[in-house]
Amino acid sequence: MTSVATLLSGQLLFSALVAGSLYALVGLGLNLVYGTMRLLNVAHGDLVMIGAYVAFWLLSAFGWSPLWAAPVVAVVCAFTGLVLYELLFRSLLAARSSIVRIEANSLLLFFGLSVIIQNTMALSVTATPVGYQYLDGIYHLGNVAMTGNRIATLIVSLLICVAVGLFLRFNVFGLALRAVIERTDAARIVGVDIELVHRVSFGAGFATAGIAGVLVSMMEQFSPFIGFPFTVSAFIVVILGGLGNIYGGFAAAFVLGALESYGVALTSANLRSVLLYGTFVAALILFPQGLLARRAAR
Amino acid sequence: MNRHHRISTYAAGLIAAIATMSSAAAQETPIGIGFSMAQTGMLAQATPSQLNTYNLWKDSVNARGGLDLGSGRRRPIAFVQYDDQSRPDQAVRIYEKLISDDKVDLLLPPWGTPFHIALAPVLEKYKFPMVGNTAASVAVRQVKPGYIWFTTSAIPDKIGPELVALATSNGVKRAAVINNVLPFTKELKTFLLPALKAANIDVKVEGEYPPDIKDMTSLLTQITQAKPDAVLALSYPSDSVLYAKQARELNLQAGFQFVAIGASDVPFRKAIGDAGNGLVTIGHWAPTRSEWRGAKDFYDRYVQRYQVEPDFLNSALAWMSLEILEQAVAKAGLDKEKLRDTIASGTFETINGPVKFEGVQNAITPTAFLQIQKGKLELVWPKSIATSEFEPKKEW
Repeated sequence: MTSVATLLSGQLLFSALVAGSLYALVGLGLNLVYGTMRLLNVAHGDLVMIGAYVAFWLLSAFGWSPLWAAPVVAVVCAFTGLVLYELLFRSLLAARSSIVRIEANSLLLFFGLSVIIQNTMALSVTATPVGYQYLDGIYHLGNVAMTGNRIATLIVSLLICVAVGLFLRFNVFGLALRAVIERTDAARIVGVDIELVHRVSFGAGFATAGIAGVLVSMMEQFSPFIGFPFTVSAFIVVILGGLGNIYGGFAAAFVLGALESYGVALTSANLRSVLLYGTFVAALILFPQGLLARRAAR
Repeated sequence: MNRHHRISTYAAGLIAAIATMSSAAAQETPIGIGFSMAQTGMLAQATPSQLNTYNLWKDSVNARGGLDLGSGRRRPIAFVQYDDQSRPDQAVRIYEKLISDDKVDLLLPPWGTPFHIALAPVLEKYKFPMVGNTAASVAVRQVKPGYIWFTTSAIPDKIGPELVALATSNGVKRAAVINNVLPFTKELKTFLLPALKAANIDVKVEGEYPPDIKDMTSLLTQITQAKPDAVLALSYPSDSVLYAKQARELNLQAGFQFVAIGASDVPFRKAIGDAGNGLVTIGHWAPTRSEWRGAKDFYDRYVQRYQVEPDFLNSALAWMSLEILEQAVAKAGLDKEKLRDTIASGTFETINGPVKFEGVQNAITPTAFLQIQKGKLELVWPKSIATSEFEPKKEW
């Protein structure tokens, strides 16, 4: 059992914050795509993987610092998203099928994409795990030791989440995007360009996943098969926070990060999955509309 | 020469030419060597070092004029290769096909213990010998001896006591043991804990973690507070890297630190750099032992071809199995029963020294450990094959 001193130490808090901020960023992309289009992107974690590889290639080929490469990675992932949107999803959405049908069809499409992406990467770049050292200096704040790349992950993830939050609250297009999330038909009636919102959301969702991949690549070894746990975490965040509820997703991400750090410290690392899924199921029973359901009430 | 005679002469010449060409073609028919390898699916990340080794061997055999079938006869070799999608059941189907449909002459093993064990009944059924490589479990001893052999000496019931012997010889009295719950490391733990107890080493922290662990802070904080002399992380490649990165962040001080799998391959050292110096890992081969015939040559050719070092565990095991097969074929040819008898009874020179099988197991190669020293892997245990002295881990 972990001592009280460990539980109260800043080290666990730092870990919880880093994990939470990363989950918030990964969940954000999934939430944008689901919220605006009701597309269940089970390939979301594979986009994180692609972001990690693009950052690694830019570093290896051109010596680009991963943090500076992040905007390029975001553009690459957004472009990939837009191509997929045009090829696979625009017609699905244009048919104005029921939400259930859109969810079911998109689930199948993204599942197929996930398998194709993983195995294409494994066959083309080999599945050997890769990793690199970047910002690996250790900094101390009191008794808390922090590796530079984990600090960068915390800062970049928070900045992006806050920026998106502010954009959704204060920008006219952000308001339109929220309107589409909350009531698509009403938004269409008042003149919101739904298709533009779909494109931007799709691109932004993929871009944020790509940036999350850059951050993951700085901290961990990665291979074409790292995506699935991120997909699972993103779904927990999104469902816990309320489907399509961006702010709820942020809150849920930090709950998830805290659960991982403190829950594991209080029990056992082996119980991580039990804790995560147990809380997830409990939250679904107690808060079926998500943690911030009242604010997101439609 | 009349017209009729001339035509007969031309016809005879043509027939002779065709016969000569057919004979040449028959002589050049490659020896079909079949195997499956996980190139897609979750295990694909583990297989490149083994597949690279197979391809290096194939090209070097063909460059020598082909595989020696004895009596100076040589034939080129060609691979018949399939992706088993990381599924042992798929591998079983593939090997059935390789034997009965593709009618390959020889078989090489796929990656991993479950695959080797799943294939044993197929080999028995078709009486087709295969020299295994990347399989390590006490479960291999339950395989009926006959048509499969296991080259590694890194079996958990040997690793546990030997690791403790290495630790005690370096003054370890207090240890922390953490393990991934996957089969190999869990099995290793069942043999390690009794060995630690028998050596009066006090286990101050003991913990398990899941394969998808992303953060070890709480585990490592507990270990840091317990101040053990040794941290034994029974880990797989990705969590070996996670352990090293987070232990470094927490400045975990213990003179003896062990990670089970991953550190014998280059990606680990690339991911953590100099912080890896001092870490001990599983491995019984190093290219610098000059009495191991061909060890340095294999290392050099691998590096030249792939621009990266071979995995000191899996690449070496794969090459050893190929050397055993090659030497056995040179004695017995392609007759399956003769080949089986030769492999079962012979002693083979490999890059890891002589190998002789007793039952299914390699009875000669000792269980050993590597340590990363100045960015390079050195054998530090047992002393009989050590290439360097153990160095306590200092700073991260």
